[in-house]
Amino acid sequence: MKISITKNKFITVLSVLFLIGLWKAGSMIVASELILPSPGKTAIAVGKLFINEAFIRIVGATILRGLIGFFISFLLALILGIAAGINDSFYAFLKPILVTIRSTPVISFILLALIWFDVSQVPVFIALLTMFPFICTNIIDGIRNVNPKLLVLAKVYRVKTRNIIRDIYLPAISPFIFSGISSAMGFGWRAIIIGEVLSQPRYGIGTFMQNAQTYLLVDKVIAWTIIAILLSYLFDHLIRSVENKVVVWN
Amino acid sequence: MGIQLKNINKSFNNVEIYKDFYLNLPVNEISCILGPSGCGKTSLLNMIGGIIHQDSGSIEGLKDKIISFIFQEPRLLPWKTVRANLEFVLKDVNLRDKDEIVDRNLHIVGLQNFSLFYPGQLSGGMKQRVAIARAFCYPSNLILMDEPLKTLDPKLKWGLMKTFLKLWREDQRSVIFVTHDVDEALVLGEEIFVFSRPPVNVKKRFTNPLNEEEKDMTNMEFFRQKNKIMDHLD
Repeated sequence: MKISITKNKFITVLSVLFLIGLWKAGSMIVASELILPSPGKTAIAVGKLFINEAFIRIVGATILRGLIGFFISFLLALILGIAAGINDSFYAFLKPILVTIRSTPVISFILLALIWFDVSQVPVFIALLTMFPFICTNIIDGIRNVNPKLLVLAKVYRVKTRNIIRDIYLPAISPFIFSGISSAMGFGWRAIIIGEVLSQPRYGIGTFMQNAQTYLLVDKVIAWTIIAILLSYLFDHLIRSVENKVVVWN
Repeated sequence: MGIQLKNINKSFNNVEIYKDFYLNLPVNEISCILGPSGCGKTSLLNMIGGIIHQDSGSIEGLKDKIISFIFQEPRLLPWKTVRANLEFVLKDVNLRDKDEIVDRNLHIVGLQNFSLFYPGQLSGGMKQRVAIARAFCYPSNLILMDEPLKTLDPKLKWGLMKTFLKLWREDQRSVIFVTHDVDEALVLGEEIFVFSRPPVNVKKRFTNPLNEEEKDMTNMEFFRQKNKIMDHLD
């Protein structure tokens, strides 16, 4: 067990090194720092971003948008998801709406939101719409997967509804909620950054990525991309570690 | 008052399982319902336990009954420890000394050292012991058992039956125990009702004559009683 974990970690490192090697080879073939800067030069660009005094504000603004969008969609998904999980008619009503939202290209929402809302609200709105269907669908699946035998058990032993919700429904759906949050966040960060690129709020990773692109600063575009990847990775890691603390029985 | 089933009718997919069925079950004894697989034994327990309803007819003597149910499978909450699984059924019960009740029952089933384990960490036999302890923790006066030993190997089965009798002797409640296994019926049952294939009737009622020492597979008297019952079993 321990050996295989160490081995897998080694392979992970190897995979990252392979990607960087490929990039390095590409930049040597292209032989133009303007078109494809080398990993080394990009690393310097990333370093410069970190020491930039506005860095915290830029990344913080993106994170804040993500979190606001996430909390609104989570709350909405929890209420609607539980309702749809318990009531089949409401599920039939909600299902086409969820499918529509999920099938709509993100760019359509952005273009419409740019017309309807203030620029700083656009990415939040986009985050909300991309995350909501994932979390909602997972909560519905979770509730529909609650073992009916456990509910019979609770009924026979005359356990009250409040305790049935707390001790059967919530633990049963929690793994579903976590996996919903994880995929929602994965898509969410990407959608927020596209939203920022197009709506150009004052601070935001997307705003600065777009600025860099305008001036053909490829190293900076890639540097911001790396920041975005790290951001997404860190949040996924955070969700997984909270999950491991909550879902201890597996 | 015992439990009286009167004029019960119950069909599944147009197959009549019970037709004008009558049965009286005694209180504070272990009644064993013995019958072939698929004869509606589980349905009978589910009707008494209020999980399903008869198509017509009445079941009397349940008003003052508080029910514990031991299912075919342990039915433990996988996210709760052994101890928390017992506490779960006591949450809405007004009882003092809940901790002591849980401790005592875990001790009798021999799981006092496993109280903080999750069901996923236990063997099948241990899980079923938790389910038995849970049934006895609950302040019921009627325990319904639906072949809870069915999936266990013979050695575990005998151990669990002894455990059950130990718990029951300290706390004699009415028990309705359903099985298709004559050995189980002879070890646990005091009154044994042999059911026919559907539509069900009681083919024979035995009062178990075996004493504690005779409840042993190698005992001649056990063997003799077993054959006597087998003659009536479909």
